[in-house]
Amino acid sequence: MRFQSQKVAYYFFATCMLLLSLQIVYGFIMAFAHMGYDVLHNVIPFNTARTTHTNLLVVWLLTGFMGAAYYIIPEESGRELYSVPLAYLQLGALVIVGVVAIIGFHFNYWEGRKFLEIPRPLDYLVVVDVLLFLLNIGMTIWQGKRHSTTSLVLFFGLLMAALLYLPGMIDTDNQTLDSYWRWWVVHLWVEGVWELIMGAILSFLLIKLTGIDREIIEKWLYVIVGFTFLSGVLGTGHHYYYIGTPKYWLLVGGVFSALEPVAFLGMAIYAITMARKGGRTHPNQNALSWTVGCSVMSFVGAGFLGFAHTLPQVNLYTHGTLITAMHGHMAFWGAYAMLVLGIIAYAMPLLTGRKLHDTTTATFAFWTSNIGMIAMTLAFAVAGISQVVLERRVGLDFLTVQKELQVHFFGLTLAATLFTVGIAAYIVNFIRYGLPVGEVTPEQPGSDS
Amino acid sequence: MLSKSAARSFFLVGTLVCVAFFIGLTVDTLGRVPAQTRAQNLTDSVKLGKKLWEKNNCMGCHTLLGEGAYYAPELTRVYERRGPQFMRALLKDPQAMYPGERKMVKYNFTDAEIDQLIAFFQWIGEMDLNGFPPKPHLVQLAVTATSTGGGVAQASDRPFVFNQMCVACHTMGGQGGLVGPTLDGVGKRLTADYIAAWLRDPAAVKPGTRMPRLPLTDKDITELTAFLSQQK
Ligand code: HEC
Ligand code: HEC
Ligand code: HEM
Ligand code: HEM
Ligand SMILES: [Fe+2]
Repeated sequence: MRFQSQKVAYYFFATCMLLLSLQIVYGFIMAFAHMGYDVLHNVIPFNTARTTHTNLLVVWLLTGFMGAAYYIIPEESGRELYSVPLAYLQLGALVIVGVVAIIGFHFNYWEGRKFLEIPRPLDYLVVVDVLLFLLNIGMTIWQGKRHSTTSLVLFFGLLMAALLYLPGMIDTDNQTLDSYWRWWVVHLWVEGVWELIMGAILSFLLIKLTGIDREIIEKWLYVIVGFTFLSGVLGTGHHYYYIGTPKYWLLVGGVFSALEPVAFLGMAIYAITMARKGGRTHPNQNALSWTVGCSVMSFVGAGFLGFAHTLPQVNLYTHGTLITAMHGHMAFWGAYAMLVLGIIAYAMPLLTGRKLHDTTTATFAFWTSNIGMIAMTLAFAVAGISQVVLERRVGLDFLTVQKELQVHFFGLTLAATLFTVGIAAYIVNFIRYGLPVGEVTPEQPGSDS
Repeated sequence: MLSKSAARSFFLVGTLVCVAFFIGLTVDTLGRVPAQTRAQNLTDSVKLGKKLWEKNNCMGCHTLLGEGAYYAPELTRVYERRGPQFMRALLKDPQAMYPGERKMVKYNFTDAEIDQLIAFFQWIGEMDLNGFPPKPHLVQLAVTATSTGGGVAQASDRPFVFNQMCVACHTMGGQGGLVGPTLDGVGKRLTADYIAAWLRDPAAVKPGTRMPRLPLTDKDITELTAFLSQQK
């Protein structure tokens, strides 16, 4: 840690831990409902549980990105954060908006559009909050000593994520257009600008952890995000096959989305190569595991499992089934959850001054959560394939098929328990680190670690 | 070897070209969607139905146009599959229509609101969706030529109400729901008079039964009774 103000990141990371725990609780509520035990139906019906689960996910990831930016940007720019109080204010406001939204979900107060359920008045507050965040980061970069590619890509990714929130607020009476604009947010986030954020954070971690020359790492960063946009923008078409939009999207979406895995493959090769080449061994091997793990698992979840259902001929049958849930879990986990957990694993020893990165708990957390998530993905996959065959191919009734799937949700619950043990270990380690009282070590000329 | 500035140009040019194409296609799509989705039929009632759909977050359990949650039936073709009477009864009390099954929230909709939701589903059902939902392939049932596919194959030799209402809870020829007993061979078990009385009001024949009293006309009952008595 180079600057005192980087410590605000800690409070963002602590918020992440809290929201992640809550997200998992709601995941279990849904898994039980799928097994036939919807005992909480009168208090927390399935739609409440689902909306809370996915919104908590998005909010903790965004909080994690913000924390990461508050850690990375001062270091990359070579100066203190523009304003520390603003950062606290902005975190507080975000938490309040989140809490109000989640309480609202339990009282039928929401917008009812998947992933964008936050009610309209709160949407505006989110926008203001993100603008404050961008102002803080932007001013730090602007007044900084250096304008590194990593910090510019990170800033551009965050700025575009904020701008792309706006199409989600377009009002229309036509369900098709509603979903058309919804994908501008959902798809262009996860398969577009969030990948910039991911590329930038991975680059920062690789520069720090492997000691490889910044110029080489940042050059490949450009190539990878170049591939992301080449395929990902027109790849939005893979959501426009069957919602009442013209047929040419089958071709455009099919071809370009089929290329999307290239960017994820590039990311994986890049991280593995840099980690191998790294001249010196950084003490924080756990952070390196999360970094390389993130690039590999995002290729599996987003690249491979995304490709598995992206061709229109396949998607006709898998569209809107548990196959999508299988892909959604592994992709979000690999690309974004592991990314945030990785930057936290890297930053915590420096923020708190306690070297708990290579404890057994940290290693255990990494492996158990990953094995748990792979098992969860398999459970969703078996359920999803059975659903597609029985409902879409054989033509059995929806509810009849769901009865057949209950056993797979028992499997999911077991896998999710393993995953939760891993996450619990991660959080225990996080708590053991204590508060951010680490020492600030001034930069030595020429060093980049 | 590729230089950093060449890599940056690749990123900037590639992105700009793709974004330009994407915006062009979007403009074209916005022009075509009204015709493809029969926007001329977007009455006020349909619009209000859409508002109810959103306000109650039905998408948090169901999918529509294949988007949403995977907990409750896909509703894109529900109008064709179940018909308005069934839906009206269900939206009044989901438990009555699917006793003991996975639960839907019981809303206190007014009759006008129910009409709006039904109008919304009817409009959704008429869209041209490039072939979604797919017709099931592996069944050898005769599929009605006019049916645009509703997930459940519809045999053409049966009364229309049977395919819309009864298969939600009963199977015949291996197709349908599992709430009630199969109706294969029902004509052997029950007399025509019993069936007619049963359909008029199940609870009057057998108090406490889980089969609800369905919104059937006399003509429906005659047709169904004749059809079921033949199932031997
Ligand atoms: C808590 C989850 C949940 C919510 C929220 C929900 N539903 Fe349902 N819905 C179900 C389930 C489960 C079924 C099937 C079995 C049943 O009715 O118990 C169903 C069945 C239906 C059916 C009949 C489908 C068929 O094929 O027979 C219609 C129509 C329907 N719902 C409309 C709606 C509308 C409109 C809303 C919003 C106002 C809504 N649902 C909200 C869970 C839900
Ligand atoms: C909401 C679910 C549901 C719907 C819809 C439904 N039924 Fe039933 N039906 C049942 C149940 C449950 C039973 C068993 C009742 C009992 O034994 O108490 C039953 C029993 C019957 C029986 C007696 C079967 C026997 O072997 O004793 C007949 C006949 C019948 N239904 C016909 C129909 C017809 C025709 C329709 C369509 C108009 C229909 N049902 C719609 C749930 C339903
Ligand atoms: C990190 C990146 C990714 C994440 C986090 C992600 C996540 C998701 C989620 C959550 C959904 C469900 C969305 C909804 O219904 O609202 C979804 C759908 C989909 N994703 Fe991804 N995805 C990623 C990358 C990819 C890639 C690279 C591909 C293709 C190669 C892909 C293909 C698809 C397809 C085809 C659907 C639609 C499924 C359907 O028709 O129901 N995804 N994705
Ligand atoms: C550990 C316990 C977890 C369980 C039991 C669980 C279970 C579930 C269930 C049952 C659904 C709903 C599927 C449906 O609509 O029927 C769901 C949705 C979802 N969950 Fe989880 N989940 C867990 C953790 C996670 C984690 C850690 C992530 C992210 C990294 C995540 C991301 C998602 C996403 C993105 C969706 C929406 C999927 C879609 O729309 O296709 N979940 N989860
Ligand atoms: Fe996508």
